[in-house]
Amino acid sequence: MSTTQPAARASKIVPATPHGERITRRYQRRVRGMDFLESLVYLSVAVSIALFLADGGAVYFIRLTAWGDLARGMGIVLGLVGSDLLLVSLLLSARLPLLDRVFGHDKVIAQHRKLGKPVLYLILAHMVFLLIGYGLAENLNPVAEIFSMINTLPDMLLAFIAMGLMVLVVVTSLVIVRRKLPYQVWHAVHLLAYAAVLAAIPHQFSNGQLFADGKWARWYWIVLYVGTLASIVIFRFVVPLARSLRHHLVVSEVRKEANDVVTITMRGRDLGMLPAKGGQFFNWRFLTPGLWLESHPYSLSAAPDGTHLRISVRELGDASRRLLAMKPGTRVFFEGPYGLFSESARTTEQAVFIGAGIGVTPLRAMLEDPHIGQRQAAVILRGSTEEEVYLWSETYDLCVAKEAWLRVLVGSRPHGVQTWLSAEAYNQGERLTTLAPNIVNSDVFICGPTPWTELVIRDARRAGVPEHRIHAERFDF
Amino acid sequence: MRARSAFFAGAGSVAILAVGWQAGLGALSSAIPTSQAVASGTSGTGTSNANSATSGSTAKPSSAPSSAPSASAKPAPAPAPVTPTVADGTYDGAIVNTRYGTVQVQAVIAGGQIVDVIAVKLTDADRKSEAISAQVAPMVHDEVLAAQSAHVANISGGTYTTQGYLQSLQAALDAAGFTG
Repeated sequence: MSTTQPAARASKIVPATPHGERITRRYQRRVRGMDFLESLVYLSVAVSIALFLADGGAVYFIRLTAWGDLARGMGIVLGLVGSDLLLVSLLLSARLPLLDRVFGHDKVIAQHRKLGKPVLYLILAHMVFLLIGYGLAENLNPVAEIFSMINTLPDMLLAFIAMGLMVLVVVTSLVIVRRKLPYQVWHAVHLLAYAAVLAAIPHQFSNGQLFADGKWARWYWIVLYVGTLASIVIFRFVVPLARSLRHHLVVSEVRKEANDVVTITMRGRDLGMLPAKGGQFFNWRFLTPGLWLESHPYSLSAAPDGTHLRISVRELGDASRRLLAMKPGTRVFFEGPYGLFSESARTTEQAVFIGAGIGVTPLRAMLEDPHIGQRQAAVILRGSTEEEVYLWSETYDLCVAKEAWLRVLVGSRPHGVQTWLSAEAYNQGERLTTLAPNIVNSDVFICGPTPWTELVIRDARRAGVPEHRIHAERFDF
Repeated sequence: MRARSAFFAGAGSVAILAVGWQAGLGALSSAIPTSQAVASGTSGTGTSNANSATSGSTAKPSSAPSSAPSASAKPAPAPAPVTPTVADGTYDGAIVNTRYGTVQVQAVIAGGQIVDVIAVKLTDADRKSEAISAQVAPMVHDEVLAAQSAHVANISGGTYTTQGYLQSLQAALDAAGFTG
């Protein structure tokens, strides 16, 4: 490692080895993919407005003193942009494999969340502008116009109901972010988003002219709506079900790893055909009387070997006991694999893996990935006690096999200092840069509890690791 | 997003919007000549012009075969202004372009009176306009029959429909030589 280090520092952009070049090219392809997909969103917004203008919508904007016309034109444009972005937002939650490969599941979902509020505001503004615009034409105030619309126009009652549902969905999502709602309640309400979208469609058909015969917009919107609906049905329901049936996954071994930690090994048909890599996660559903209603996201704790999948789970008390009670032969349904927290996210050859507690699982699985070569990894593990450095012996063996640099920090954090290190290491003067000297030229993979992860990310940034090389998987207890 | 891609995405979006706007204006300008014809139609001189454009029969005097059928014939019996001899019949009004679709009505005249106004086409650009038409047209209709004239109050909330309706009606009345 020490011999390659100066070379790598001298030429950061062009790595020395052919293997490194492949990684760089793969990363550049991914960046182009990101830019392309992001551009598509902007262009789709432009297209939705342009089609409206071309189909006669320009007439609303040619007389700048006709307030009613302007309000109606604006209202329609806001509705079109809102619908366009709403469909984009639904696509982002549809588990499209392309998006997962290019951006990674967590980034896609983060973007989906970010779009929620703007979409709601756009559609609210759409409603307000049209109420004002039509109100002006009929000499009605906007509130009275609501009733006029419901009475004189088809499907408007449904449209107003859809609006109410959208408000509900976004508000509950904002509340859950502040952890004031149980997950199940949020999820049930969130599914109403589908109802909202469906309830809003009829008024677009009958009042709007999105789908009018002989208009270009018709085809654009049909493709967008059908494409989105099909993506959701296919990638959220059909593909997971088909994979679960095809691979016929059953529990083959349940082992108590440590207090509250259970390792579950599963066996299935043709698992080599499943495009899974060490570090990715699945949503698992164990078909036992007590567990079949719940599905949980857990990362693989070993790289898939073509015949088995393995997870190591930390669950407190009851949940842990129920998992331990599972008999071999229990059927497992799954959705996945998901996530870009794998070797595929690398932008360069060298990698630093930093994990705390059960966060070691995806790192250990990634380390096992055959694409991670000899002397390419540095591993830093944290645990408050020795027992909490889970999967210790197998991780140690893997580090030996891959000639990886390994450091283990045991013990609680020092008082009064914002650090992710143990008190002992901190007092001895250890820092991220001493634990992983080559970190500036490495990808950094971090997995641990959210607050701890944030501290590692802070230190990695301070050490000069560029943003695109910091990969984090957070979990909450 | 890299700056170069952001630039292309932005420039592409602006270009798409510009094309859409131009296409929209192009579609509009093709509609403008008709509305010019309407403006002259209301003044009376262009009436026959507008009527011929409808491809419907001009000033059908079918119900009054005894009278002179020509609509272009101005009130011929000039010395008898007390009883304006307007031929009985159904007279087509001009096609009036409004913001929310074209409007055309027919005036039914019998015994020197407007006995009915038939709406051939009302504002129908979108469902809202159709709804407004359905609401407003009967009200204007009743106003016209009561006033025996196209000079009646605007129906608020249906200005475009009312104006189009009355303009078209006025053209029909002019064609008939009806002066009220």
